[in-house]
Amino acid sequence: MKLLAYTILLVSMSLPVIADEADKSTEIKSAESWLNQLSQSLNTLNFSTSFVVVKNNHAEPYHWFHGMDEKGNQLEILSLLNGPRRDVLRKGNVVSYIEPELPPYSIIANHLKGPIPNILRGDISLLSKAYNFNLVGKSRILGRSAQLIRIVSKENNRYGYWLWLDQKTGLLLKLAIVTKKGQLLEQIQFTHLEITESASLTLTQLQTTELPKTLEIPKGYQQQSLSWQVNWLPEGFERINANRHKINATQQKVEFMLFSDGLVDVSVYINPSAEQRAVDFVMDGATVALNQAINGFEISVVGKIPSKTAKRIADSVALLPRPKP
Amino acid sequence: MSESKFETVSSLVDSYQANDDILNEIVKDNHLSATWQRYHLIGDVMRDEVESTLNIDLSAEIASAIADEPTVLAPIAKTSFTETVKAKVIQFAKPFGQMAIAASAAGLMVMSVQQNVADNEILTPNQIVQTNPLGGIAEPVSLNFQQNTQLSQKQALIQQQRRFQALLQDHNQQIKFTAVSNDVAEVKKEAEEKVK
Repeated sequence: MKLLAYTILLVSMSLPVIADEADKSTEIKSAESWLNQLSQSLNTLNFSTSFVVVKNNHAEPYHWFHGMDEKGNQLEILSLLNGPRRDVLRKGNVVSYIEPELPPYSIIANHLKGPIPNILRGDISLLSKAYNFNLVGKSRILGRSAQLIRIVSKENNRYGYWLWLDQKTGLLLKLAIVTKKGQLLEQIQFTHLEITESASLTLTQLQTTELPKTLEIPKGYQQQSLSWQVNWLPEGFERINANRHKINATQQKVEFMLFSDGLVDVSVYINPSAEQRAVDFVMDGATVALNQAINGFEISVVGKIPSKTAKRIADSVALLPRPKP
Repeated sequence: MSESKFETVSSLVDSYQANDDILNEIVKDNHLSATWQRYHLIGDVMRDEVESTLNIDLSAEIASAIADEPTVLAPIAKTSFTETVKAKVIQFAKPFGQMAIAASAAGLMVMSVQQNVADNEILTPNQIVQTNPLGGIAEPVSLNFQQNTQLSQKQALIQQQRRFQALLQDHNQQIKFTAVSNDVAEVKKEAEEKVK
């Protein structure tokens, strides 16, 4: 692994000379301006692209269409190509999910939720509180000259994100989630990229397609007051959801909070349990799921964070004193 | 071979009488009997009496071709051998390929299945998702495990895997739903910035 890193470093050090000749204007660009260009490109360009998510021992191939209609609304289709159908369709601010677990539904949102973090299409400066942006080297990805940018956490409680961006358009060519020590946990490799003048035929067909019914999420449902709190989280995490629901697969009733630092989402679940179970966790690529049952409560933490961070979050959960009536 | 003999054959074909010596000679001579056959065929073609599919006996030519070219045939036989091997490999590999696809798509679904397969090595982490106790904190559970029978250990593990699978699924689902309020927050922030 280290050897590989050194090789990449060496290659990337030798490449800039050639790359700079090709495009002199990129010389002065900072990491932030690269990321801003990425965001801009992801929101405005018409492209058809394929990528593969590689984690553990398996690969998930996706196809992704993005384009703009005449009114400037974004059209998108993201499809998982292997196994049962998983499609995400988007017309402007209506996003539809077609998945095996639930009947098709739409929600009102400005982003679709896929393997690529949404913040890369949003305001990257929201991350500057908890992360540094480093301009690293240049290399060749997907047959194109690419600029490597690293989004590195300011402390040790989070993973780093390495992005390879197309020199010409700023589009994403590769993404890797890497531990502080440089161990690769998960990566997204683009395998095909086609940028066109106008939206592709598939997207124009989407324009006339009727999307599934919009799911109404009641006001305040995601900001319920729960009788517990999480006392420790890495810097920059904020609560974006708090509710009570049933876990679909097990029908277990849980109280739930979702935290986000903009890049990473962390879920915390709590439910009463008669069992006593010591802490245990699984890793799915960079995502950890940690679970423990102590003192009458089962606590679970899920997210793309190191297991140590998840354990610390789980241990910091505290019940609030009940207000006496 | 003299021209006169062919003429004789020709006149025989045209039903002229001939003596037995000439007939014997034609029967014994391969070349002449072939000519006899050929002349009849020519006659049939001219009279338009040939069947639409010609049944010409090729066995003799093929037999002689094989006899003539043993060295050429040998490598051909070899390539056809490798082809069958390849075909078998594809047939053999296909189910595994399909399994791999299923594995990638079903993602975590696999771990409970794998658990069933890994009969005796219950505590060995599988390849898809590794279950690790966090260093030094696992004591109470492992004590319980020793008291239980192997079967209930297995059940506990399967249950644990299902729990993790359900959690990962729900986590992704909640993120999708939360996109709504997240965007609201973003819109608010934009509005605030505009005010400034």
